[in-house]
Amino acid sequence: MTALWSKLSAVLPPNEEEFPLQFSDKVESSVVSVLQQSRRQLYSDATSTDRTLTAQIILDLSWEKLNTGTWRDVDKEWRCVYSYGCLFKVAALCREHPSADEILQGIRTCDMGLLMGAAIMDNVLQVLVQILQEEVRKSTKEDEQHNITSTFRVKTERPRVPVIKDEQAVPRIKCPSLESFKSDYLLPLRPVILEATADHWPAFNEHPWSVEYLRSVAGCRTVPVEVGSRYTDEEWSQTLLTVNEFIDQYDGAKAVGYLAQHQLFDQIPELKEDIRIPDYCCLGDGDEDDITVNAWFGPGGTVSPLHQDPQQNFLVQVVGSKYIRLYSPEDTDKLYPHQSSLLHNTSQVEVENPDTERFPEFARAPYLECVLQPGDVLFIPVQHWHYIRSLELSFSVSFWWS
Amino acid sequence: MRWFGFGFNAFGQICVHNELSKDEGRDTVSDVKIMNPTELHRNVDKSVCGRNKCLKTSQIRASWSRRVWLHVDGDSCVCLAGFGGTSVVDSSGCTDTVLSETHLTLAFSDRIESWDLQKKEKTPAWSMEIQPPTDTSGPPLSLPLVPGGYIATKPPFYRSLSPHLKAKSLALGAEHAILLSATGAVYTWGLGSHGQLGHGGLTSEEEPRAVEALWGMPMKHVVTGGWHCACISDGADLYIWGWNESGQLGLPSQSLRKGHKEESSQQAAADCQSASINPGGKPLEGEKDKEVFISIQAFPALLDISPSCEIRTVSCGSRHTAAVTATGDLYTWGWGEYGQLGHKNLISTDEPQCVDFFKEQKLYVVDVVCGPWNTFTAVGEEEVKLS
Repeated sequence: MTALWSKLSAVLPPNEEEFPLQFSDKVESSVVSVLQQSRRQLYSDATSTDRTLTAQIILDLSWEKLNTGTWRDVDKEWRCVYSYGCLFKVAALCREHPSADEILQGIRTCDMGLLMGAAIMDNVLQVLVQILQEEVRKSTKEDEQHNITSTFRVKTERPRVPVIKDEQAVPRIKCPSLESFKSDYLLPLRPVILEATADHWPAFNEHPWSVEYLRSVAGCRTVPVEVGSRYTDEEWSQTLLTVNEFIDQYDGAKAVGYLAQHQLFDQIPELKEDIRIPDYCCLGDGDEDDITVNAWFGPGGTVSPLHQDPQQNFLVQVVGSKYIRLYSPEDTDKLYPHQSSLLHNTSQVEVENPDTERFPEFARAPYLECVLQPGDVLFIPVQHWHYIRSLELSFSVSFWWS
Repeated sequence: MRWFGFGFNAFGQICVHNELSKDEGRDTVSDVKIMNPTELHRNVDKSVCGRNKCLKTSQIRASWSRRVWLHVDGDSCVCLAGFGGTSVVDSSGCTDTVLSETHLTLAFSDRIESWDLQKKEKTPAWSMEIQPPTDTSGPPLSLPLVPGGYIATKPPFYRSLSPHLKAKSLALGAEHAILLSATGAVYTWGLGSHGQLGHGGLTSEEEPRAVEALWGMPMKHVVTGGWHCACISDGADLYIWGWNESGQLGLPSQSLRKGHKEESSQQAAADCQSASINPGGKPLEGEKDKEVFISIQAFPALLDISPSCEIRTVSCGSRHTAAVTATGDLYTWGWGEYGQLGHKNLISTDEPQCVDFFKEQKLYVVDVVCGPWNTFTAVGEEEVKLS
């Protein structure tokens, strides 16, 4: 038994009898029989080929279920089945003297389960992926690491940095008290930038975030990346890349990839330790567990079209800078939202290049704007329209709370 | 007719190689993935169907883990194979069958029955009486159509259909449906998120809606796959639309090409929500510099299977498609990782390819029926009429 396998199997049940496989009626008995076969093979003398084959059947079938119906409606049972498939596949891949590539495939498989599946066996995939990551780190020598000169840093042209007019600037305030934030901004739903509020984050101190840091913590992890200028475009799509591939693939010349709206911190707990939930979130009604934390990482030029969200938002800028424009929901009639149900929270107008013939009222809508710098925390009130363009390599963290 | 099967066989639904290895829970790749078209019922087991009638199978249906076959000859006989073993169903007088992963539905002249395959019960889970049609001029309705409506794959089983649709045939996917009317018009409804309704967008439809792009072109056959539809016109042309992530539409598929480039052959959800939609009728001819890929074809596209030929019948699996030409050839394309394309390999393809096996054996293909991950083909004498 390899050292790696002894670590991995220590996290799994010691025998078949103690390995739970319970599903509702939604999962047909034929499918359960394949899962039981995988479980049997885990504790028997099966060949690696056989184990992989059985696991792949589970993955292929549950993948089809995950793509049936709308994502919201997919029964959690099928997401669990998918996670079991990932578990059995990782076990098959990493059991007998896995090559470096097989370990990376194992990490990718864990990530697929974390991204698309549902947590099983006390989130065993999260535990397994960290064991595998450690294995990769141990065997990666200094000189094999990617060159430090990150291509993201190469700026071929200066970004279009807008000049912010004072009368339209988002107000800035340093560390307001909870009470004054509530009375002056939260209740009246007024945007504001809170300065020096995130200064204590490890992301600015002990572990300053950078492209190199990200590679070292999460380089071989698979994440969803948006491809295309903006999500309203016809050519827009999502793909899955490792963080290394994402950083390698995109240069500073044009932004065609964006790691956007992804709960990266659930997937990669080490990064979660570098951030803190803003204190002001306690003014909301919900629990801390109800706060959705998203990562937004990409090169200069990424654009989030003008849109509104159903919750309050603290947008914390960690690396780089972003140009942001805000419109009040009172002026929605001048912002021409899409009619379709999929995009009714998104404006049809290209904010920095509006078609004045199709959208004549847009020019008359008042707005606030800012350039968000590292350390700034922008409060975007619920339903407030916002447009965001990154001016350079940028990493932001958003907190959606109620 | 002789029947051949290839593709997914983890439950022995195509053929059982070795009873012993099944008991030990050992699957070898060659047992699970049948890459070479294999004849069914070659060694007739008389104990399965005591009357040696399995050679005259007139109809085959397949679900993910099972296959059902029916022979109508005097007393008809319905046999089931796959998960749960092989068995004969009490079915004298059965004229038609539908098989889902959970239910087997049987049509008789006076009733329809649905049996729950997961419970071993002595009575059907559901049944309804039907009146034998007074007007015997037209052909009998085939399942899942029944007088006044159709039988769904899950409860409520009976769903009514408006008589103005004049339903002639109906095919059901997991989340969408396609209906052919007596006038040759095509209607679709259900989920549209992958363009499978053919109305040009991604929105779902609760009620049958005419596929306007086909208006004026009468169709004679309609089928569904997991996320796509296909139909054959009176002029024997093949139209296809829906999701193309595995090349099941026979149009250039980017996710397929990307999957081939990667060293590992798995195509786990690489594109979760890719939406490069081609609203146009025909796939664009690829310019030399830039290949145009289609991941969703939201309007029907005419598919030319080269060399151009008349299409006799078509069937779709979850993510693959199979078509029989008027000249007795079988073409398959789409997802192939379980051998369901019959090209003696496990490679998916977005270009329709002839299944050489039948040509080499000088067999004339007359029918094809796809299960989700496998394909069954009937060969026979030339000019045999399709049942």
